[in-house]
Amino acid sequence: MDATTAPHHIPPEMSQYGEENHIFEIMQNMLEQLLIHQPKDPILFMINHLQLDNDNVPKIVILGPPASGKTTIAMWLCKHLNSNLLTVENLIAKEFSSLAAAARKHYQINKRVPSMQLVRLIQDRVSEDDCVRRGWILDGIPETREQALMIQTVGITPRHVIVLSAPDTVLIERNLGKRIDPQTGEIYHTTFDWPSESEIQDRLIVPVGISELETAGKLLEYHRNIVRIFPSYPKILKVISADQPCVDVFYQALTYVQTNHRSNAPFTPRVLLCGPMGSGKSLQAALLAQKYSLVNVCCGQLLKEAVADKSKFGEVIQPFFEKDMAVPDSLIMKVLSERLNQQDCIQKGWVLHGFPRDLDQALMMDSLGYKPNRVFFLNVPFDSVLERLTLRRTDPITGERYHLMYKPPPTTEIQDRLLQNPKDAEEHVKFKMDLFYRNAAELEEFYGQALTINGDQDPYTVFEYIESGIINPLPQKVP
Amino acid sequence: MEAGGSREREARNYLEKHRIMELLKYLTSVLLFIRPEKPREYLIAILEKLRIAKATGVAFPFFMDHSNITAMFDMMDSSKKGTISFVQYKEALKTLGLCPADEVLKDDGHAITLDKFKSEVNKRTQEIWSAF
Repeated sequence: MDATTAPHHIPPEMSQYGEENHIFEIMQNMLEQLLIHQPKDPILFMINHLQLDNDNVPKIVILGPPASGKTTIAMWLCKHLNSNLLTVENLIAKEFSSLAAAARKHYQINKRVPSMQLVRLIQDRVSEDDCVRRGWILDGIPETREQALMIQTVGITPRHVIVLSAPDTVLIERNLGKRIDPQTGEIYHTTFDWPSESEIQDRLIVPVGISELETAGKLLEYHRNIVRIFPSYPKILKVISADQPCVDVFYQALTYVQTNHRSNAPFTPRVLLCGPMGSGKSLQAALLAQKYSLVNVCCGQLLKEAVADKSKFGEVIQPFFEKDMAVPDSLIMKVLSERLNQQDCIQKGWVLHGFPRDLDQALMMDSLGYKPNRVFFLNVPFDSVLERLTLRRTDPITGERYHLMYKPPPTTEIQDRLLQNPKDAEEHVKFKMDLFYRNAAELEEFYGQALTINGDQDPYTVFEYIESGIINPLPQKVP
Repeated sequence: MEAGGSREREARNYLEKHRIMELLKYLTSVLLFIRPEKPREYLIAILEKLRIAKATGVAFPFFMDHSNITAMFDMMDSSKKGTISFVQYKEALKTLGLCPADEVLKDDGHAITLDKFKSEVNKRTQEIWSAF
């Protein structure tokens, strides 16, 4: 069999490099831009695109009914992400533009800007340098499906669309309390968001058009239009309830725009599960291995298997087992390396649990090149752990495992002969928990991108959290 | 929708005409092989070199130079006959990305020699690069 017919093994360094540097996403973005603009000289275009390096700038659309707070949220997001805010008002207020002047005239007469002109204004604004470099946030645009399609046709695609929603009655009430600061343009509210400085309080004015009837009319039109805009942004749209304090709405919006969407990049999961004894690591690892065909690597199990197989490592490890001493790190690392280097681990990915337990082990693993791309910390309070572990029993005759609360034995006859594993005794569990928590802080610092999950729930809920942690890209932090 | 259909066709024609997919495949392979610290800068450097090569007509530093082609040939020709079979030749071209999967190559009955292999690889690479 020669090199042409044998299957090619792609070295794992390539996939690690690809993941860390987001090569797939870079290429995908470049291809998207090439297809939208179809330049005559693709190479020059690609050079310019790469130099801009603006794949991750914010490109957000915020939509919502009147009085939902979208302008407030848009302004806060702008300040926080250091981006540019685009609204109908500031687009038509642009100086030195005949297009803007025409739009202003139209707005003064009809109170709205024709879609064609609006989209042209947006197109010009978005191609300006500051929008290219720092991104943009569209507040309340597109208003109709027609506008949404036109914006798409000129090649402007948002990466996140947020739609605020609240019951109509709440909105009508809220709108009655709306006040505007004529100097800064910020919006305040008589009940929910009253400014603290008295000088701002004095200059606030009541805006036009906030009576109940007018608000109801605007709401009707909004509902008619928004339903038809939804299908234009299928995967990037998120609805946030505006019927909560604005800080909460802002927090949800900010978290959402900082997440990247799932891409089609090839991804081999290398998952690390950390947590104290009894947090459910083995169970979750088994579920993950079964569903995603990953290799389940349990450190304790590996060592026991080595001893049982009487392999060369096993013979060195056995005296430690016999004397009930901890196996030295270097030895564990060797056995682990042997397992992780095997072809099935490299190709399918792995789920590791039971190792590393402290910073030294983590550093050793990292230096050998085994870097997990998802790390999870399972948090379970001490009482739950005690409950889970101290009530475990085994039937010495059938070998069946029971739990006095979650899986009680069916008959009293079985119950009488159940035995408890000494490792599940309360003092031992306490000792192990303390050991874990002493080292946990350092581990959490080392694995900066780790996700913490509440392990004190039923197994399938925890599994779903872990799954979404693996499948979704890691959230990016605002620089 | 007719408008959608024609724009899609336009886009596909654009990709074909400028051989965008081959270029992107090549760039990705180079990045994964060399694994530079700063992928963007490296990509920009390659693209600049490509532009200059096109403008001045100088040959572009291809991924596979002559020693690589010879090495690949030797790997396939394990019995050192000096020739490789038609099947091996077709697989090799596919691996190099120089031959789309559905292209039908004529098997003229003779085994492929090193010179023929080299000249065919060069010819196809030239074809692809001349489109840029």
